[in-house]
Amino acid sequence: MSDRYPGYDVMTKRNGPSWNDVTRRVIDNRLATPKGPRFFSAAEFETVRSIADRIVPQRRHDPIPVTDFVEARLLSGQGDGFRQAGVPQAGEAWRKALAALDAEAQAAHGMPFRQLSGPERDGILHRMQNGDLHHSSWGGIPPATLFTQLVARDIVFAYYSHPTAWSEIGWGGPASPRGYVRTGYDRRDPWEAAEVKDGDDAAAIRKNRRVR
Amino acid sequence: MQTPRATGGRAPDVFTPGGWVPMREYDESEEVDFVIVGTGAGGGTLACKLAEAGFSVVAMDAGPFWRPLEDFASDEAEQSKLFWTDDRLVDGENPLQLGSNNSGKSVGGSTVHFAMVSLRFRPEWFKSRSKLGYGFDWPLDWREMWSYYREVEEALAISGPVNYPWGPPRPRYPYRAHKLNAAALALAEGCEAMGIPWTETPIATLSAPRGRARPCVYRGFCVLGCSTNAKQSALVTWIPRAIAAGAEIRDLAMVGRVEVDGRDRATGVHYHRGGEWRFQRARNVVVAGYAIETPRLLLNSANSRFPEGLANRSGLVGKYLTVQSNQAVWGISGKEIRSYKSPPSLALTEHWNYQDEGKDFHGGYCYMSQGPEPQLWANTQLASRGLWGEALIAEMQNYNHQVGLKMVGEMLPQERNAVTLADETDQYGLPIPRVTYSWCDNDRAMIGHALDFMGQALRATDARDIWKQTDDTCHLNGGARMGDDPQTSVVDADCRSWDIPNLWICDGSVFPTVGGVNPSLTIQAMACRTGDRIAAMARRGEL
Amino acid sequence: MRGRNAAIAVSGLFAAAVLGGLAARSNRPAPIRQPPREQAARQLDLGAATLAGSVLFDSAVEHYRGSFEHRGMYVPLAVASATIAASLSGARQPNRMRTGVHVLAMLTGVAGLGFHIYDISKRPGGWSWQNLFYAAPVGAPGALSLAGLTGLAGQQLRTGQVRPDSQSGRALAALAAIGILGDVAEVWLLHFRGAFHNPAMVLPVTIPPVASLCLAGVAAGAGRPSLRTTRGWLWATAATGLAGVGFHAWGVHRMMGGWRNWSQNLLEGPPLPAPPSYTGLALAGLAATRLMEEAHE
Ligand SMILES: Cc1cc2nc3c(=O)[nH]c(=O)nc-3n(C[C@H](O)[C@H](O)[C@H](O)COP(=O)(O)OP(=O)(O)OC[C@H]3O[C@@H](n4cnc5c(N)ncnc54)[C@H](O)[C@@H]3O)c2cc1C
Ligand code: SF4
Repeated sequence: MSDRYPGYDVMTKRNGPSWNDVTRRVIDNRLATPKGPRFFSAAEFETVRSIADRIVPQRRHDPIPVTDFVEARLLSGQGDGFRQAGVPQAGEAWRKALAALDAEAQAAHGMPFRQLSGPERDGILHRMQNGDLHHSSWGGIPPATLFTQLVARDIVFAYYSHPTAWSEIGWGGPASPRGYVRTGYDRRDPWEAAEVKDGDDAAAIRKNRRVR
Repeated sequence: MQTPRATGGRAPDVFTPGGWVPMREYDESEEVDFVIVGTGAGGGTLACKLAEAGFSVVAMDAGPFWRPLEDFASDEAEQSKLFWTDDRLVDGENPLQLGSNNSGKSVGGSTVHFAMVSLRFRPEWFKSRSKLGYGFDWPLDWREMWSYYREVEEALAISGPVNYPWGPPRPRYPYRAHKLNAAALALAEGCEAMGIPWTETPIATLSAPRGRARPCVYRGFCVLGCSTNAKQSALVTWIPRAIAAGAEIRDLAMVGRVEVDGRDRATGVHYHRGGEWRFQRARNVVVAGYAIETPRLLLNSANSRFPEGLANRSGLVGKYLTVQSNQAVWGISGKEIRSYKSPPSLALTEHWNYQDEGKDFHGGYCYMSQGPEPQLWANTQLASRGLWGEALIAEMQNYNHQVGLKMVGEMLPQERNAVTLADETDQYGLPIPRVTYSWCDNDRAMIGHALDFMGQALRATDARDIWKQTDDTCHLNGGARMGDDPQTSVVDADCRSWDIPNLWICDGSVFPTVGGVNPSLTIQAMACRTGDRIAAMARRGEL
Repeated sequence: MRGRNAAIAVSGLFAAAVLGGLAARSNRPAPIRQPPREQAARQLDLGAATLAGSVLFDSAVEHYRGSFEHRGMYVPLAVASATIAASLSGARQPNRMRTGVHVLAMLTGVAGLGFHIYDISKRPGGWSWQNLFYAAPVGAPGALSLAGLTGLAGQQLRTGQVRPDSQSGRALAALAAIGILGDVAEVWLLHFRGAFHNPAMVLPVTIPPVASLCLAGVAAGAGRPSLRTTRGWLWATAATGLAGVGFHAWGVHRMMGGWRNWSQNLLEGPPLPAPPSYTGLALAGLAATRLMEEAHE
């Protein structure tokens, strides 16, 4: 996939008027999230990573640490504020889901989920999304609910909480005290990502380098 | 935030980083005139009105007392600290999505992260059973509400159009409308193509300075908390007024039980603050915890005289919970929309609220422009459209071109949609609520109509790849509805409970029906009315 | 940063225009005692330059907000600068180039009006409050036309192409009266958009209309109000224009982030360069009263 906002890095605005102290603190903390398993076991951690690889595939040399972010959320104990009757709290539900995915992988391919090929993992995840998995280890919890409201959801939230993902989609990022001035059709403030127009990468790069 | 801020005779000054304002404090042994549970659209407004009328008021909120200027980051994940994320169970045929989507836990309540759309009810909705043939009548007269709407619009300096296209004439909004962003222009274009009127949304964010609050900077994080104070939430309007008039706000104070004596009178509330359970005496108790927490508290306060929960002799506490349909159509514009800029819903149409012909359903809906931030948008793609993997990453590249229309539709009140207590308990040891929800045929018919119509409108712009988001709901109401008859309602027109004369309910839970507009203006207008009624009753010695 | 560069460029343009104009003027020794006609001409020059200065900065800010989407948006900047230089240079002889500049300013204003009207009409909502508030301002280009007219009047007066009699005085009074009224309409619109949130915002829609009325009386030759009263209101109007810059600077400070967030607030806050257009028009009105006075004597 070609880059739609070449040269744009939302972090170049960090010291400008678009970020305030509390935002800098929050993002700094997030970028300093500790690595490695803290909430999950080492094996579980790898399984989460092997799921995240499929939900939000990344080909950058410095990938967004999605799994670490998922862990940080679970460690914080902060819930979503609701769960379907019969679904346990987030941490326990995650462990159940990972165990069930392993069980499904063993049954279908004879190895744990994290060792499956990409397409094999996709296959199982698709069936989970569609509620088409029936191993007893799901313990009566609907796999589709776990997929949409927990596993894939946490991973997607984690990915799009990282500035690299913001830059990728050309979002303006944090904005306080400075917000925006030009808000109509096809309007861009000089502190926003410039999109490639008519294949002219260089023009977009030039504008994006000036974003502060 | 774990430690209460509003202590020691002072409360945070929301307009100054690190600042304080003096605050009157009441002793727990002192029987205050009113203790109010919840400081949102209902409770915050009422606290102000009662304090200004000269009553002694203590208003408690389970959430913290923020200073938006220094506490609110421009970050979706961080700002989930504003939401009510305590454990809740959902079930039914169409389980609700709560969390960020529904209620807040802060001084100021859900208005701290609401989208600020400030609409009046269509007059007939106050009598929808007798005038329009569905739902239930309110025990209120629209003309009276019309004047209270005005009071709220002035208190919040609502920015709105010079002329409002629908309904009986209303006075000019205190502040002028904001400039439209691209998402709002697309709504306007669609309406013009469909031949229906549209207008700038009357909205509770400043288009010019006001006192110490600064005007909107169009940063677009509104539903994550406004870090400029442009948003006229209860936190920066009613609450400072209440404190100035002598009310005490107790933050991080979770009320677990309302105490009622043998003569069926409320005597005060048990609340958890600073790590321990405490008791505040009061002559009157007002419950204003919103449509889930209010019924939950009443049910959790059951005693031997009220085994089914307080004020529940009608059996209706928790029943007739009613949300609003919040379905959307989305597409990709050839133009850059960048809908993350500006408050999300700057333009709307109420056409289908006021037009009754050509409908195969009861009730009405409005629809408005939208501006989701990235995490929310990515999750919408996942949850409502099923996208993940390369498909999700690729679709997210269209983020700046994404444009959509979203309805706020009237769902019909049904007895089976209810708040009950679950077996599990929360961090305070209180039984958690179970929220049961199922749509009815009328709900589905309206959603179908809206999705078709909005789809056509969006197609009339340059948007392509149009898809329908069919699952979303918003705005909780009902659960302790008002009425004329103690058999079929929980409170009377003055928000006073039928069963316990000094127990009042003043929040969204008293709505008998929800109408097709966002509820907060009506909640605040009702709270203003209740405040005036209480003051009048006190003068007549009827309290 | 682009915003900063643009600001420097426009200020440079302004300085060059002012200095260039004054340099051309200082070539000639000024007469010892200035006849009233010379005084009136000077007031007109200064008025034209002030108006053009206001247009230069205001259109710079507004068109920068509009990202200079098409080249035409640079035109008022160039023409306003030229008008400043031409007005300040105070030609004593009929001069084709200066005349040309002033006529160009008048035409540019008219063309700008056309563009702005077109811009409004093609938006959703058409002639709605929304578009009057936020689309290209209808009245603004008029200020450039007025600058051209005023400058031309000054020049013709000085070169003797126009006689300093009561007729020319009345014509000028009418021009200033209409100009001020147009400005009032624009200010009212924008202050209404700001909901007159500060009581001081009422001043610029109360003082200048009185001055305009006085001038209308003068133009009609009614003999009332007196020239003295008229002049008093005109000075008050001129002062309103200057004070307005101060008020607007305060207004920028009151926006979120204040002056530190200038890249947003100079555009979103009250426009700093707009109020002096009152000063420019008041100067033209004062010149008119001068001429009337001379005619009386
Ligand atoms: C994302 C979002 C966007 C919205 N947008 C709009 C909009 O644009 N326009 C509109 O009109 N409405 C909107 N709403 C809805 C609006 O915010 C609510 O309808 C309104 O705030 C409800 O008012 P309330 O007083 O009933 O409850 P709330 O404002 O929620 O206040 C209830 C308060 O009670 C406290 N509380 C609850 N239980 C207890 C307890 N036991 N002890 C102590 N404290 C307790 C809570 O912490 C909370 O602060 C939106 C809501 C959300 C979530
Ligand atoms: S867009 Fe306006 S109201 Fe919304 S958060 Fe920003 S400043 Fe506040």
